[in-house]
Order: sequence, then C-alpha cells, then structure tokens
Amino acid sequence: MFVLPPPPPRYTIPVAYAAGAANGMAVPVVETNNTITHPEKGCPLQVGEGTYTLQDDLLLATPPPHPSEAPIVNPNPLATVPLPPTCGVKLSLVSLDPRKKPPTFLKSAVTAPQFGDGNSALAAPPVPAKDALKRRKPKNNIIKSSSSFVSRVITHETSAKRLSDRDPNGVFAFANINRAFQWLDLSSPTKEEHLTKVLFTKSHMLCHDINELTKTSSHLDIVMGSSAGDIIWYEPMSQKYARINKNGVINNSPVTHIKWLPGSENLFIASHANGVLVVYDKEKEDALFTPEQSSSSDKEKGKLPLEILKSVNSKNQKSNPLSFWKLANQKISSFSFSPDQRHLAVVLEDGSLRLMDYLKEEVLDIFRSYYGGLICVCWSPDGKYIVTGGQDDLLTIWSFPERKIVARCQGHNSWVSAVAFDPWRCDQKTYRFGSVGDDCRLLLWDFSVGMLHRPRAHHQASTRKRTSIVAPGTQTSNRHRADSAGNRVRSDSNGTEHLNGEIDQTASHPVEPRSRTALLPPIMSKIVGEDPICWLGFQKDCIMTSSLEGHIRTWHRPSDSVVKS
Amino acid sequence: MKGLFSKGSRSSGTATTPSTTAAPVKKDLAPQISPLEKLLQEMGSIRDDGSDKFFGMENYGNTCYCNSILQCLYYSVPFREAVINYPQRTPLDSLEAALATNLRYQNPNAHLEAEALAAKQKASSPPSARQAGVPPNQPQKPEDKDSPEYKKKVALQTLPILETKNNATSYGMSESLFTSLKDIFESVVGSQSRIGVIRPQQFLDVLRREHEMFRTAMHQDAHEFLNLLLNEVVANVETEATKQAFTEKALPPTESADSLGMLTPSTGSKSPNTTRWVHELFEGTLTSETKCLTCEKVSQRDEVFLDLSVDLEQHSSVTSCLRKFSAEEMLCERNKFHCDNCGGLQEAEKRMKIKRLPRVLALHLKRFKYTEDLQRLQKLFHRVVYPYHLRLFNTTDDAEDPDRLYELYAVVVHIGGGPYHGHYVAIIKTEDRGWLLFDDELVEPVDKNYVRNFFGDRPGLACAYVLFYQETTIEAVMREQAQEDLASATGTAETGEARQNGSPLSPPLAHVQSASQVPSHDTAPFSPINRIPTAPQLSSHAEAPEHETPPPLPVQSPVQPPLPPIPDEPAPSLSPKKSDYQLRRERAREDKEREKERRAAEKEKDKNEKLRQKEQDQHNREMQKREAEELERALKASKLDVNELGAENGSPRKSGFGFLRRGSRSISQRLNKEKEPRVSTSDVSFTTPVPEPVPEALEIPRKEVPRKDVPRKSESLQSPMSPMSPMSQTSPKDIPLSNKQPIRGPAPLAKDHSASHEKSGSTHRWRSFSFKKNVNSVS
Repeated sequence: MFVLPPPPPRYTIPVAYAAGAANGMAVPVVETNNTITHPEKGCPLQVGEGTYTLQDDLLLATPPPHPSEAPIVNPNPLATVPLPPTCGVKLSLVSLDPRKKPPTFLKSAVTAPQFGDGNSALAAPPVPAKDALKRRKPKNNIIKSSSSFVSRVITHETSAKRLSDRDPNGVFAFANINRAFQWLDLSSPTKEEHLTKVLFTKSHMLCHDINELTKTSSHLDIVMGSSAGDIIWYEPMSQKYARINKNGVINNSPVTHIKWLPGSENLFIASHANGVLVVYDKEKEDALFTPEQSSSSDKEKGKLPLEILKSVNSKNQKSNPLSFWKLANQKISSFSFSPDQRHLAVVLEDGSLRLMDYLKEEVLDIFRSYYGGLICVCWSPDGKYIVTGGQDDLLTIWSFPERKIVARCQGHNSWVSAVAFDPWRCDQKTYRFGSVGDDCRLLLWDFSVGMLHRPRAHHQASTRKRTSIVAPGTQTSNRHRADSAGNRVRSDSNGTEHLNGEIDQTASHPVEPRSRTALLPPIMSKIVGEDPICWLGFQKDCIMTSSLEGHIRTWHRPSDSVVKS
Repeated sequence: MKGLFSKGSRSSGTATTPSTTAAPVKKDLAPQISPLEKLLQEMGSIRDDGSDKFFGMENYGNTCYCNSILQCLYYSVPFREAVINYPQRTPLDSLEAALATNLRYQNPNAHLEAEALAAKQKASSPPSARQAGVPPNQPQKPEDKDSPEYKKKVALQTLPILETKNNATSYGMSESLFTSLKDIFESVVGSQSRIGVIRPQQFLDVLRREHEMFRTAMHQDAHEFLNLLLNEVVANVETEATKQAFTEKALPPTESADSLGMLTPSTGSKSPNTTRWVHELFEGTLTSETKCLTCEKVSQRDEVFLDLSVDLEQHSSVTSCLRKFSAEEMLCERNKFHCDNCGGLQEAEKRMKIKRLPRVLALHLKRFKYTEDLQRLQKLFHRVVYPYHLRLFNTTDDAEDPDRLYELYAVVVHIGGGPYHGHYVAIIKTEDRGWLLFDDELVEPVDKNYVRNFFGDRPGLACAYVLFYQETTIEAVMREQAQEDLASATGTAETGEARQNGSPLSPPLAHVQSASQVPSHDTAPFSPINRIPTAPQLSSHAEAPEHETPPPLPVQSPVQPPLPPIPDEPAPSLSPKKSDYQLRRERAREDKEREKERRAAEKEKDKNEKLRQKEQDQHNREMQKREAEELERALKASKLDVNELGAENGSPRKSGFGFLRRGSRSISQRLNKEKEPRVSTSDVSFTTPVPEPVPEALEIPRKEVPRKDVPRKSESLQSPMSPMSPMSQTSPKDIPLSNKQPIRGPAPLAKDHSASHEKSGSTHRWRSFSFKKNVNSVS
C-alpha cells in the first residue's frame, strides 16, 4: 500500500529574491547562523573496504536578500527576463599539513614549462631580495570597502582568537552560498561557526579556488568568479581583496569555473558562460579588451577550432587578460588540469569534451557526450583517464593516451553534477572515483585496467545480462564504418603522461553506439540528501559533499581500511 | 502622482461593468514594436511552407489546452506538412480567396488610439469613459506593460485576426477535426502576414460537437487532448480514405478521375501517400516481455503507442523515468500472470522495451497522480530535468537504430496547483527563429535557457507536462550549435548590466509595487465572483480608497489582468481575475469543500485579506522608506517583516498569467460516454497479438488503466453532482477495479474486432502507454 504524501511544503518561506528563489532555493529574510546536525541513523556508505560513516551535516545559512533587492512575492513563472545564474554550494578546501596531500602517481616530477614561457613581455619583474618570501596582498580592505559590489562582511567575534589557537594543520573550507561567501575552519570544534562571511550585493559567487603554491599560515590566495563576470582575488587572513574583470570589462559573461594555473603564483584561468577561457594575472590591471588576432590562422593548419583572440605570446602584456580563447559559443561548464600540468580538459554545454594543450594554445581533440551537455570533468591521478559527467545521466571514462572512449558508467537517476577521483584508493591498476548528481545521490565507482580491456561484447553481455548478441542493423554497420575512419588508436599507450605536441588532425569522434561500449555499474549508490548534490571532494580521512541548499556532509573513511599514502 | 492615484482607485471602484469592449489604454503613444516583431525583421519574403508564421491563438475560456497542443503540432514540421498536403494542398488562389474573408487586418495602432482617447477622456471626466465603452478601470492597468494579460490584449487588438472557416469540401472530405485542423494550418501557411492571432472557433466547434467532454468551458488535460486529436486525425483520415475508395469503385472511372483526380497525384507527390502518416511520425512499438518464473518461457507481445506516459520520481531526469518505465516488474500475488505454457497463474517477470522508435517522441510526464488518501488527482511538483537532446536506453536488442538521437523541440507547460485548473502554454523551438513562448494570443521569443525553467522546482507552479522530441542527427545538432547565436551571452550581459547599475532606485520600486499587488488581488476578484459570478466587483475595489495614503498604484495593474478583449464573449472575461486565487485555494481545501463551507471560509478570509492588505500596504511603504536608508539598517528592518511575510504564505501567490480555470468544478462532469471508447479500444490494441486473452481482471488493472485515468473514469461514473459521496463509500482499494468493471463490458466485443483491426484499418485508438508499477499499489 502506497500512500502519497501531501504536496511537499516546497517554499516554506514564500518571500524570496530574484536569483535564489528563482532557482528553487528557499531564502530567509534575516541573517541566520549555520547549523550542524549529527544524524542519528547516519547515512553509512558501504563498500568493499568498509563503511564510511556520516560524521555530521553542516547546513550553511542562506543569506537574506540584499535590501535593495525587494522580494518578489508572486513570481510570474512565465517571465521571460533571463535570470542571473546561481549555483549550489561548492567548497574549496585547504590544508597546510603536508601529510594530507594526495598521493601522486606521476612517474617523474612535473616538467611542464611555465605558461607563457619564452614571452619576454611576461618575464617577472625582479623582486627585491627582502620581499621574495613576502606574499603580495590585494590592495583593498574588504571590511571597510565602500564598493557597491561587496555588501558587507560579518566577522565572527572570536575569529582572531580561533585563528591563533587552531591546529595549524587543520583544514579550512571556503564555501559559496547564494550571495554569501563563508570561511570555515573544519578542524575547529565549533566548525559550524564561520570565521568570516562576505556578503556581496547582488552577484553570486559561482566558483572559487585556492592557490596551492602560495598558501602559508598567514596567507591564502583565493580567486572567485561571480555571476556578473567579475572576479575577486581575496586574501582572508588580512581581509584584503581586489576586483579583476571589474564590471565585466574584459568579459561580462558569468564565470563558470576558475582555477589557478598549476605551478603559478599569479595566473589563473576562468571559464565564462559565453564559451571563453581567459587567463588573468592577479597582479595586473584590467584594460578594455579588444581582440588582437583573427581566428583565421588556425584553420590553415587544419587544427581544431580555437579562436585565439589574444595569445599569451602577445607582446602587449601590460594588463589583463594574458590570453583570451574562444572555444565555442556555448557555455563552458567546467575544466580540469591534467596532473602533469600540460593539458586541459574542458567540458561544454554543447556536449563536447575538448582536450587542450593550453601551453601551446591548441585544441588536441574533441569528444562528444552520448547526448546532452557535459557538466563536470576530472583526470585520474596518473593522467591516463578523464571522466566526464553530464545530462545523459552518465559518467564517461575516456582514455587520454588512446584518445577513445573506455566505458560509460550508468547509475545516476539524473544529471551528474560533480565527479572526482579518490587518489587514496587508486593505484597503478585500479581507480576509484565518486560522483554526485541532481538525483541527490553519491555514487562510488571502481574500474581497473584489466576489466576495461575485456572484450566488449563479453563484458557487455555480462553486465547487461543479454541473452543474444545484438543483431547488426544497417545503421550500426554504417556507424561502424564511420567510426573506423576516425579510429586512431595510439600505440604509445604505455607512455603514460606526455603526449607532447602531436597535433591530431582528426576533427571529432563519432558518438559510440551503446552496443559497442562497455558499461560500468557503480559499487555503491546512496541517496545522501533531499536536495541536489553539487560538489564532491575526497580528503585523506573523509569524503565530503555539498548540496544546492547548503548541506555539507562529511563521511569518515572506514577505520580499518588501509589508507595508502 | 497623488491625484493620479486617487483617480485610479476611484475609477477602479467603478470598474464593474462587465463590458469587455475595452480598448487597451496606454499612456505612451510611442509606437512600440513587440519582441516578436523585432525578431522577425529582415526575414525576407514569405515562405510557402508555413515555417515563418507565428500566430497566437485566442483563448475562448480554458481552451489553452487546445491552443498549446495545436501550436506544438503546427511546429512539428513533418506533421504540419502532412496535414497541409493530405489529401492535397489547397491551391493558393482558392486559399487566398478564402483568406480574404478570414484574415482581418486591424489597425496596428488601435490600442494607441484607444489610449489617446482614454487619456483624453480621463483628463476630462472619468465617468464619460464608460459611455465610450472604455471601462474606467483600464487606465491603471496598462501600467504594467509587461503583464501577459496586457500583451495578449494588445495582440488581439492590433494583430491580424485569422478566423478559419470550414473548407472541408475543397479537400473532398466531410467536416471533421482533421479538416478543421487542416483549415487552421492552411490558412496560417497561406496568410500574407507573419504574425497574427488565430481564432480557432471552428475547430473548437467541431471538437465540441464530436466530443461531449469538451463542451464545458472546463479545463482539460492537454495530454489527453493530444492523444484524442492524434487518434481522431487517424480515424478521420482513414474513414475518408475508405469512403473514397468506395466511391471510386462505385463511380464510373471518368467521373472519379474528375472528382478525385486532384487527390491522387498530390498525395503521391509531396508527402503522405498513405493514410498512415500519423503513425509514421508518432507511432512506435513497445514490446512487453513476460518471463514465467515457473517454466522460464518468455512470451512477447507488441503494442503500438503514440506517446509515452512516464511516472515521475522526485529529483530525477526524463532519462531515468524512461528507464524506470522499462524496469523489470514482478507479477506476483494478485497480479500473477497467466502462462499459456504452464496453463495457470504464475509468478512472472515482465518488462516493456521500445522495439520501434518513433520519429516524434511525445513524452507525457505524469504530473497528476491519484492519491488514495485524498481520493483525487494531485499534481506532483517533482523536479524532473529534461535535456535538450535525448537517446533512449530502453530499446530492445533488435531495435533498429537504437541510438537514435532526439532533440527537444516543444514543451507544454502546465501552470497551476492541481489537475482541474490552471493554464497551459507551449514553448516551441521554431525552425530558424529559436525558441518561442506561445501563451494563447501572445507569442514571445525566449532565451534557450528559458526552456529549463520548468523542471518543477521553481516557484510559480509551472512544470513541463508534455515534451516533444524529434529525431535528428549529431551533425545537425553540431551545425545548429555552431550557428547558435549568443543569445545567452546577451542575456547575461543584460543581467550584468542590471547588477552593475544596481542603483536601488528603479528596480526596487518596481518590486515594491508588485508586492502590493497581492492584497488587492486577493481580496478583489475572488469573493464576488465565487458567490455571485455576475455581481459587480464593487466590494473589492471599494477597498482601494481604504488606503490612508495612496499606495503605489501601478501595482494594482497586474493584479487585475485587463479584461480580455473578446467583445462578443463577455463571460470568459471574468475568468482571468479569479483564476489564480481559486487555483490555490482549491489546492488547499479541494478535498472536503462544499459550497457552504467555502463561503463561510471565504468570508473570514476576506476579512483576513483586508487586514493583511493593510499590513501589506504599510509594509510596502516601509520598504520604500527603507530603500533610502543604509544597508545595515535595512537588514535589521527586514527582520521585522518576517511575520508579515510569513503570513503571506497562506495567501495565494499571484502570478502573471491570466486565463485560468474558471470554476472549480470537479472533473466528474466529464461524461463517461466519452470515456468508454477509449477504454475499450485500449483493450483492443493491447490484446491484439495474443490469441488467448489473458484474464483481464488481473492483467488489465495492472497496466491497462493508466493511473491517471482511474479516478477520472471512476468519477465519471458517478453522478456529476455528487462526485465525492459514492467514492467515499467504496474502499479506496476497490475503486479502480470496481469502477473498471462496468466499463469493461464492451471489451470482449471489441476484442473480436481487434483481430482484424490491422487489416481493416478500423478507427481504434492508440492509447498512450503508462508506466504500470504504481498500479500495483492499487490492487
């Protein structure tokens, strides 16, 4: 007997303001505090190595609307005005503890050159010896800011004390929620109390990243990208900030993802919703951007499409941007740097995965989702595999050296919003990764090289319990042929990381039919919340997720499991 | 300003004339160009395939279900072409002759002139405006130029009106739903204007003549209408074809060549050379594989479908719903399967897969679910995401082209809290003008991202209800993506701008105003209408003067959607006013409500609303003051509002759409006559391939009866006046079965016909397939 509950109280607080409410979030009218709960039954994740136990569920407080943004009491559901984008809570974690660093699987040290190496215009100015170790801070004080961009900053009354007393190796977390940006100390016994909360006027921070290279106990470089296109460089210890791409002077499209260039103190890449990747320097001033180069150059060589509107090799490097690449006129959903720091995997709303050699400003290859847009992407710790997740409810494993699809992973009931490898449970042959999605689920996946090399038909027959081999229809054989034309299996699949500079002439790969692609089932699937999960992170001692409405959940790893380090 | 306000409120007090001859009144006389017109600039010469026509459709009171489906079908290119070309295309000359009378150009500046006139009259003496046929309450309404009601009215008054006439004889057919559909499509295609408003009166007349259940002015289910329309088109076409064949035989060859000569060549030429074009577009085949767990024998049976009805889960995707549709299902306990092999009821495992993929995949999201504890249909507000592109996972191993790529091209959106009321609009991707919103008379270009606003998780009760996917290729998709204009970029640029100059002056003001709509709306329209539908609305508007200080007036404009300008149809004009409120109130109390109780409650509520309105006004004033103040202070102040705002929760939210359900009548008024053929015929199609009928009592309730239909059928058996009483006497568990029984009477008979239905091409209907699991819970 199945009784349907009455309609859920979906909008407990009817008053909501434009972006937040319009995107389905209940928005309070007053400033509230974060809360932490320790669910009684927990939400254990059972896998082969043991049980991950839910430690706590920290709910970030959604800030009230800015007073200038009066509540929309009765939203017109058909209003055709485009809404500003917003997104669920994402976390940036940072720890100074060297033991907490994820294990590396690269055979040799990273040898990638610096971005823009060889352009004398980019050579760093000589730094006086005494300043060499001193980190440069942004200029403006965010607390005393009179900017119309920053609304206000709420500092916890004891934050100074908490900062000085804390375990220096503890983990800091930075989280965006709605128009707020919170700084949390996850190692604190009162971790639900923020250290600082920055409230922006209207824009929402959509993405943020901490520079791993420059972090010290007294300095953290954070960049964050907003729904308005503006980028904030923020140093939380000194509460200083700077605005880059102010008022969208370089690109006024929302920033969908932002990352520090690996190995760079000053440079970071931001992807914008209009299909543009821009490299900025935190130290440089903005300048009105005018495209420098036409895109005609890339066509003549038969390269894959990439409009370089400003090259890193440009001699004009006095101001931002350093480089400006247009990949497509579709939204870039996310991107990820390869562990060897030479390549960039970019996923777009048009369903394409584009592999770039960003140092050489080239697109190496383009793959396509089964259908629908791609949302998230990550690299395996050894750089051999790329996993994407998208609107086809699938995760897709791609082999980077072989340049082909390896398997599709079926298990989500809705779009996949984030994917990450668990480097502590990966080794040379087996890989563990996790994914979260709009279906409120957390899924864990294992795949091994051996398994994936199994013959396809056999593998599929076993996973899908087929009783007969697929009857080859005419369509299938056509696809076969089209496929073999574009089939360029690499022979150097053992040469793990680098695939230096060999430009692929092939334009794009056809979408592999379902009948010829291995299908991987998850090892664990669990509904972990009541709202879509939008971020996933693996730490040495825990798994963390965060959700659309601000639930940050932490699972302890099984105590008995042997964690490799 | 003050004077204006007081005048406005006074005039609103007199705005009780049900006269709908009102011309819209606008203050600015600058000629305006609508977003659609802007979009259509520089389109070159008019094409003859109809792909560059963008017509709204007049709503005759709750006919939005029809409008939205017709629009979707019109922009289903192969369907439109088939309709136009079957049995032949009307020659352009005769079409133009017909259009000369059908298409009525209006003065594009009509509303401007009317406004000017009204402004003048207003300046002199407001009451005189009434004599001029301009309801004096008009001046305040057009303040909200962005309200859909206003835009619809302007569209109706300025755009060319296209009224279709029965042209069936020229097709060599007798008048039917198909011919009236063809009338509409042909006149739109043949029209010299790119934009306009269709009056589908003739189509509705035919529909109502043939189908009793559409005769009321009630809200209908868009999906049911789609299914009925497609079935009806199939039936009409096939009947005509057999008739033609018959006459052809009967008539001497010469004569038939004359009378039908046009028909034969044209059918051969452009598209539909058979009568099966609807099947070729929408029809797919499902295979249900049942594996008897005793003897392990797998029995298969094919069934055709015109659309798929999928059950929904919270936080899922269409992909996942489709996969669930094909998930394995155990037939056990009361649901056992009759195995021919073992000869008896056995436990079995069953799954449904798609064997033949349709070219157009119509997906019905089952948002209306029967709840047993409430004994009625309830709308599910689950968040169900749908991608722009789709492939089907649930195909059989031997399906042809199992990886077929589909693209989303139309979405029918249901707005409202329940199944018996609300509003439908369609969002459609046109061939070369991007996505457009078709909201009755109103046609507006929208951003591509707009399509994603109807997953079901946003406020405003708007959810996608029927999705249309059509086959495409990856190459076509990539080509389109490359061409896709940076609509989103411009959109974001705008928002960026808005944020930058976020000078709290203008936008907040607007917001505040809109906030004050609430009370006036709540109090005003509903009470008088509910009790005495014809009563003037004096009471509600009389409240306006209660304001101590003039409230921001413009606010009220969207509240009361301007009367829809249907001069000859006064009745529907009332509907927009009550619409939304009722919808919500009903949702809250629908179950128990009797008229008396309702009235009592309403009285109380009225009072409350008045109080609330005062509060609200005060609140609004505060808000305005606050804007001028400092940030911090404002934040604190907002705390004070918690209670007030919280209180609003109970009050209906007002949304901008207008034509909602008029009454809150229950579905029981549907006559079961209408239902019968569908039920029995669905049995037909189901049992066709199986020679030995499965025990129906067990088999059918499990999946034959789409869940959605259950209550309707059962209710339809009750007397229309007392829908609840008989129902409540039966135990909920028995309802589907017991009510099903009487209807199933004709089934065996129909089954006999069914054996030959393929050959005879009889007019049986294809039902849409529903996911069946839920029904388990019923039995």
